[in-house]
Amino acid sequence: MKLGMFFREALRSIRANAAISVAATVTALIAVFILGAFIPSFMYVRSAVDSQKAKVDVDVYIADTATVAQVNALRGKIDGLRTDGTVASATYVSKEDALRIMKERLRDPSVLDELPSNPLPAKFNVKPNDAENADVIVAALKDDPALDPTEGIVYPESTADRLLTAAKFVQWAGFVLIGILLLAAILLIGNTIRLSIFARRREVEVMRLVGATNWFIRWPFMIEGVICGLVGAIVAVAMLWGIKVGVVDAWAAGADSALTKTGSAAGTIAFPLLTLVLVGAGALLGAVGSAITLRRFLKV
Amino acid sequence: MSDGQDSGRPEFTLVPVADAPASPDEVAPLFSEAVSDGTRQKHDIFRPGPGPMIEFRDVVKTYGGDSRGLDGVSLRVGTGEFVFLVGPSGSGKSTFIRLIIRELRATSGEVIVGGRDLATLRRGKVPYLRRAIGCVFQDFRLLPDRTAAENVAYALQVTGHSQKNVRLRVPEILSLVGLDGKYDRLPRELSGGEQQRVSIARALVNHPRLLIADEPTGNLDPDTSLGIMDLLLRINRTGTTVLVATHDQHTVDRMQMRVIALQEGKVVRDAESGGYHHHPSEVPA
Repeated sequence: MKLGMFFREALRSIRANAAISVAATVTALIAVFILGAFIPSFMYVRSAVDSQKAKVDVDVYIADTATVAQVNALRGKIDGLRTDGTVASATYVSKEDALRIMKERLRDPSVLDELPSNPLPAKFNVKPNDAENADVIVAALKDDPALDPTEGIVYPESTADRLLTAAKFVQWAGFVLIGILLLAAILLIGNTIRLSIFARRREVEVMRLVGATNWFIRWPFMIEGVICGLVGAIVAVAMLWGIKVGVVDAWAAGADSALTKTGSAAGTIAFPLLTLVLVGAGALLGAVGSAITLRRFLKV
Repeated sequence: MSDGQDSGRPEFTLVPVADAPASPDEVAPLFSEAVSDGTRQKHDIFRPGPGPMIEFRDVVKTYGGDSRGLDGVSLRVGTGEFVFLVGPSGSGKSTFIRLIIRELRATSGEVIVGGRDLATLRRGKVPYLRRAIGCVFQDFRLLPDRTAAENVAYALQVTGHSQKNVRLRVPEILSLVGLDGKYDRLPRELSGGEQQRVSIARALVNHPRLLIADEPTGNLDPDTSLGIMDLLLRINRTGTTVLVATHDQHTVDRMQMRVIALQEGKVVRDAESGGYHHHPSEVPA
């Protein structure tokens, strides 16, 4: 019964201050819409970067002249790096294996039959735990006597570095942008609730006069804020759904997307989950915005 | 005079109140037992006891700098009394009232209402203090977009009463203040006197022990004012302590009740029963 009354009062207030309520709802809509457009894009970029980072591996080539003891010593060093967590895995690729792999890759393997001997060195294929650790691995192994003097250690240094920089930038820019957007939405909803408090100051005055408790006075304003946030979020989700179905899906299906062709593992958030997150964000925006304003402007 | 006191209102049974004067022909009945629901007891923050309803002990209230609202006021208002608070604008009447409902806190001295020292009353308890005190103002403070009945119902809903209770009590209280048949009028469709009756009904509906009226007749013509004062007097006769701050010399002279006069924040006169101005024959309270 009490809850019913709070809702009736909140709806009465929204009707009475229709213009202000619409402004709050549109603000929430814009914030949630941008958040909703940003989250999938951000997650797609991050997942693309992650899948590229996973491909960064370090090839440690072994000299043909290396003794068994030297190779075992090198293996020991790599094992040591694995125990301290910089290396995820390491595989030994013998000269024969290397030749076989080469044959599989070539369209016409018969050219290899012309070779007097196997020119390919053996190697350890080392996968770092994190692309950032590639440098550590190189530093630890670069002076090893077992290394092949010409090939040495090979890893896609510049690719890894660029990817890492891009990933970090995307991550931080994303956090900052989302933070600013959420803050703006909270402040704008808070401002709306402030106007609503002003519009209803007579009611608030009467409520105090007849002895309503603080929370009794506050609930309708809280509900008002949450309703604005929720309605804004729902409309934003509907618009995003339209854009996803009408534009993004059509584009993804029609275009020869380079990323999808190369079998990138990059993915993004599922739409139902995104909906849940955005509707929750809308409600939270309304609640936080109202609560901050009520604390400041509705002291009893 | 359009009080409607003799206009065939249905009879209500009087809730027995110890110190209500027993003169049934004069006293219109107030609350019926049928709608008493124990809410008053549950949230009653007043301490039981024979002490005064209001006690001020050397109360000073300053508003920053030199401006003084009250300057060393000491007085007692007993339970069941009817008191006029008179004095020119700026004499401290409003400060006195706002201290009682704890809209303000005393700078020094003690304000004790219903046995509670308001200086030690926790913030969260203030709403319960206000439920025990009915307030009526010069500007009525009605919600313009709600009918008379809704305005009164609001005070009950806000204090957590059931819908059933609200439906029972609102018509009863509106009829009691003489607003039969005007339940569904909006404030703008009522006369000033009728609006003040709605505001009195709202103040009464939570069964306050103390009713405070700040210039209740300030916006009303003399005849209507008399009707309102009669209503306040009838409320007083059921045992409710009534404190009326007023400029209305005519009413105060006519009623010959206790008069407390304030001037520049000090009590300059306290007569047991008298008029607006000092008279040599009056007895000090």
